[in-house]
Amino acid sequence: MRALGPALAERLEPVLGTVERHAAECDEKAAFPTQGLTAMRSSGLLGLLVPARYGGLGGTVPDLLAVSQLIARQDMSAAMVFAMHGQQVAALVHHASEELRERVLPRVARGDLYLGSVTTEAGKGGHLLSSGTATRREGDLIELDRMAPIVTGGAHADAYLITALAPGATSEGQVSLVYAERDQLDVQVLGGWDPMGMRGTHSVPMRFTGAVPHDQVVGAPGDFRRVTVDVFAPLAHLGWSACWLGTAAGALSRTLRLLRSPEERRRRDLKSELLLTRLSRARQRIDTVQAMLSHTADVYGTLSERERGGAPWQLLVNALKVTASEQCPAAVEELVELVGLRHGYLRNQPLALERALRDLRSASLNYGNDRLHLANGSLSLLDQETTLV
Amino acid sequence: MDQAFTDTLRPHLRYLAPGQELRPEDRLRDLGLNSMQAIDLVFDLEDNCGVTLPDDQLTDANFETAGSLWEAVQHARSAVVDAR
Repeated sequence: MRALGPALAERLEPVLGTVERHAAECDEKAAFPTQGLTAMRSSGLLGLLVPARYGGLGGTVPDLLAVSQLIARQDMSAAMVFAMHGQQVAALVHHASEELRERVLPRVARGDLYLGSVTTEAGKGGHLLSSGTATRREGDLIELDRMAPIVTGGAHADAYLITALAPGATSEGQVSLVYAERDQLDVQVLGGWDPMGMRGTHSVPMRFTGAVPHDQVVGAPGDFRRVTVDVFAPLAHLGWSACWLGTAAGALSRTLRLLRSPEERRRRDLKSELLLTRLSRARQRIDTVQAMLSHTADVYGTLSERERGGAPWQLLVNALKVTASEQCPAAVEELVELVGLRHGYLRNQPLALERALRDLRSASLNYGNDRLHLANGSLSLLDQETTLV
Repeated sequence: MDQAFTDTLRPHLRYLAPGQELRPEDRLRDLGLNSMQAIDLVFDLEDNCGVTLPDDQLTDANFETAGSLWEAVQHARSAVVDAR
């Protein structure tokens, strides 16, 4: 992955410090990284992907991935919050009307708007491109009543991108993406969040009721599919993979620092072939993901919107997600075996391997690998030439 | 190159004869240092000379000759002094 430029690295530094200080507590209490988000707001990084003409930093997708990866070295939850906000921003930048962009993006750039994503829905198993929530057009307004079982950071977001059926939709695939600010809707948190890992994402069930102006639809009405193919799905897989990679790389780095400390060197045989082999395997898994992430991000940057709809690209980006979600936890597993019970399995140890492993356990489930394999099997059949991008 | 430095290096250089002087231009690989042993040498430098080489200084070029490694050690020492 390309190194972060000095200007961005300087903005990121206080964010990393804040996130590191609060990571254990957010995990313990399954609490949203409030202080981390405040640091992101004041750093300007919430506007990383906002073009300079709207007052943003004009950053690139590789910048987003590098920042997410670095935050994830301290706290995967805070990194997921950041990466997913970036995904929402990119959708607005590329698919909102100019009028909506002018209204919203300067406030994102100032750090006033943290954007949540409302795409989950009961009974559709995480499927992004369908919805069972009808909406109604009433003059210039769209009325909606949307329940979502899992909204990452939803209780803390200032605005949301919400999927729901377009008014008058005749099939479950005619989904619109709607921008809504918190004070435009009645926003209720319906329950708590007490998972195994990613506890700081505070991904709660929520209900959104009310009406928003019709011009807040992002992309064409009923055509969320286009936003998904162009921005939403690629940035989800790229962003999550960067978070998982950062978590695994952070775990390896902390483990190496421990092994190389003078006290530990006296206690352990650093020539042990088992130890060296385990280190090598962990590093190999991490470098594999790094190579694939970096390549996939490069390809994404070169493709036209039409090519992003093609099988070769979609196969690659889906495979990135599956590979990262398998290899990153496997790398941390390797480290747990290496350092043993005390450093690897006990809670609240300096290496935080136990937390990293719990956080990374979510990776295969966060848009299920089983579903992606089915998609990639079908896509493979569409690509007889086996065109590799 | 001071005595502590050459004393630290010597056990890692099995082709350096006892009593043979270590010169700055001597190539460490020719004297028996391989990459598997380099990490042990790094640890000995930390323990005996009190200097920690940062990751980005652990390059082939710095391990090329006794003199280049000495320079890296001196550089790391002065960086620590500057940081204080």
